[in-house]
Amino acid sequence: MDLPPLSLDQLSAVLSTVPTSADLYNTLSDYEEQACLISAKEVELLSVFYTTFFFSHLLTDQIEEARALTKRMPQPILQTDSIQNCLLLLRAVWQRKHAGIYKILRELPWPNRAQSVVRSYENYFQQKTLNEVSNSYEAIKPAAAATYLGLDPALAQQGDQETIQKFTACGWKWDPETQLLHPNPVITAPPKDNGLQTELSRVMALISH
Amino acid sequence: MSDLLARLSAVPYRPHVVTDAANEDYDRQLREFVAYLKQPGLIPSTSDPNEYLQALSPSKNSLSFLYLLRFQIQQAQKRTKRDLPDSIQPGGNLWNLAVRFLRSFDPIQIRYSLDEWRQLVDLVASAAVTSSKAVLGLKATRDALERLSPSGIFTSTHLLLVKLALHSSAYTYALPITDQLLCHFPTDTEHVHHEYFLCSEQAPNTALVTDASGISAKLSYRDHLQYFLYSAMIYMALKKWTQASRCLNVVIASPTANAVSKIMVEAYKKWILANLLGQGKIPSTPKMISPHVIRVYQSLARPYISLAEAFEKGDLYKMSNEIDLGQAIWQADKNTGLVSQLFEAFDKFVIVKLGRTFSALTIADVLQRTSSSPKCPREIEEFVASLVMSNSMRASLSHSPDDNGTTMLRLSLGSQTHPFYREEHIRAKLMRAKTALDTIAQGVTQTDQTLELSQENLQFLAKSQKWSVSAEKVVSSGDIGGGDIDEDLMGDGQ
Repeated sequence: MDLPPLSLDQLSAVLSTVPTSADLYNTLSDYEEQACLISAKEVELLSVFYTTFFFSHLLTDQIEEARALTKRMPQPILQTDSIQNCLLLLRAVWQRKHAGIYKILRELPWPNRAQSVVRSYENYFQQKTLNEVSNSYEAIKPAAAATYLGLDPALAQQGDQETIQKFTACGWKWDPETQLLHPNPVITAPPKDNGLQTELSRVMALISH
Repeated sequence: MSDLLARLSAVPYRPHVVTDAANEDYDRQLREFVAYLKQPGLIPSTSDPNEYLQALSPSKNSLSFLYLLRFQIQQAQKRTKRDLPDSIQPGGNLWNLAVRFLRSFDPIQIRYSLDEWRQLVDLVASAAVTSSKAVLGLKATRDALERLSPSGIFTSTHLLLVKLALHSSAYTYALPITDQLLCHFPTDTEHVHHEYFLCSEQAPNTALVTDASGISAKLSYRDHLQYFLYSAMIYMALKKWTQASRCLNVVIASPTANAVSKIMVEAYKKWILANLLGQGKIPSTPKMISPHVIRVYQSLARPYISLAEAFEKGDLYKMSNEIDLGQAIWQADKNTGLVSQLFEAFDKFVIVKLGRTFSALTIADVLQRTSSSPKCPREIEEFVASLVMSNSMRASLSHSPDDNGTTMLRLSLGSQTHPFYREEHIRAKLMRAKTALDTIAQGVTQTDQTLELSQENLQFLAKSQKWSVSAEKVVSSGDIGGGDIDEDLMGDGQ
């Protein structure tokens, strides 16, 4: 099926209609072909498209492919603020610098058209980190937990009630005596393993032939 | 024009009920249709093939569309005296038609013109590469291969695809093809199962896709090795070390007559690095590699082996030295990127190995036993936390209450895992076992069919056996009687 022509409005329409991050990634993958054919003079459109496409990689945990994308973006847009911010974000995500990630997402200027996907990623990253911390720490200092989740570490260290409540709302326990938070492990279904089926199918295919 | 268009759009009738007779008829019609399309001067020089192309559907009139498109491309090449005229470049009219075709053709019809199909794919790919838009060629090639689905058969288009993926730095797009198992070359024409018709949907691809069909350019031993080496490079770019190692295994374990090829040596070097990065050690080489080949590998990849030994022993000093000494070698082999990742992998596997000795230790202790680069306790804690949080190691972290207290790392959490978490994993294991059984059952059924062990065939065989046993009895009784077999049989019948 032919896609509607790529434009800023069409990008906004895609962002507001796709139900999942995987759908966003798939749709923008299809649009990459149109983006390749757009004149490099259309800097704004290309910059917003590649920024959005970059975030769709992060939203689907494809960090390595996000890096590859930055290598095949058209040269003229590499110097735009938006793409430069993407490169900074990629480095921070790659190095798992949580404080840096929130700072880049919140404080650097992003194009208005990409704001929704930036906010989506911030929420996604925060939730993902919350799950990871919950399953990795038995006890954690409020400042460290706040850093992981993009909250103010200084306030958390002082035992700020509002900050502590944000953690207890997630099922964590606060021990005022030790001044430590005790995360509640998040039970998530293990990722579906298609590898086994693929391997077995391979063996069976070899036997059949 | 209308007569010609009517003939071009007259799609041979495809049978709904699949019988040998129906397939035979459809096969004959398609062969005749291809012969008609191949006639010289089919398209009058005064007419515009573009009008026909606009009127035809690439999915229904795949053969007509392909021949007309190829004709128009040849016309454009003659007119412009260029192999790749502007109209076939990305965004041009012929490019758009070609890509539309490659994404919607009828794979059954195209089995009768695989040579033309391949030439179109090759042309699209080279147009994309020359216009520095290799990613467009990659996606079109991938879609065309997926649509044709020559499952399990290695062709020159597979090699083209992995080259395009590396050329365009778009690795994930190639995975639907590289993830497929390839275990056949196009069948030698002499060994084709002639009982299958090309249009048969039931026939295995190996019986249909022959080297004479043109599905692949002439393949050499080198092409096969290159495909798996490049596939491994795609997986390595995505840090999928297990898959990379599997592909490299294919290359290093390829049969050799006498000499070991350069590609195989290159693959062996990458195989060492991929295994160090993925598993922290070098597994034993596949048993099918003959000892003399292993000796050749080892002598030609000596710096890599020394590096791997230092890595496996956890000797950071020696590993750093080996890396420094071999800079020129890594650069010449284009392995600098992989080697540079060894430092982080070294720290990771040293920490993971601590779990074999300790059940708990402080971050200060971890710092003392690891670190390829000077790190402060905070940095090492961040690194350990990243390993735990990314599930690279099973452990938990615990901060101590006092301000200057260190963080405790608890390893080997087998008995401490949350019961609900454990339950989820048991459930997932059961699901995996069920999936495995389903896959095996499906495979057994398929194998049964392939080996003609279906229920019906077994019943038939049993009946035949029963019949032959009873016949033998008769024969035996006849022997006792000392008469002739034929006569006894006749006698029994009486």
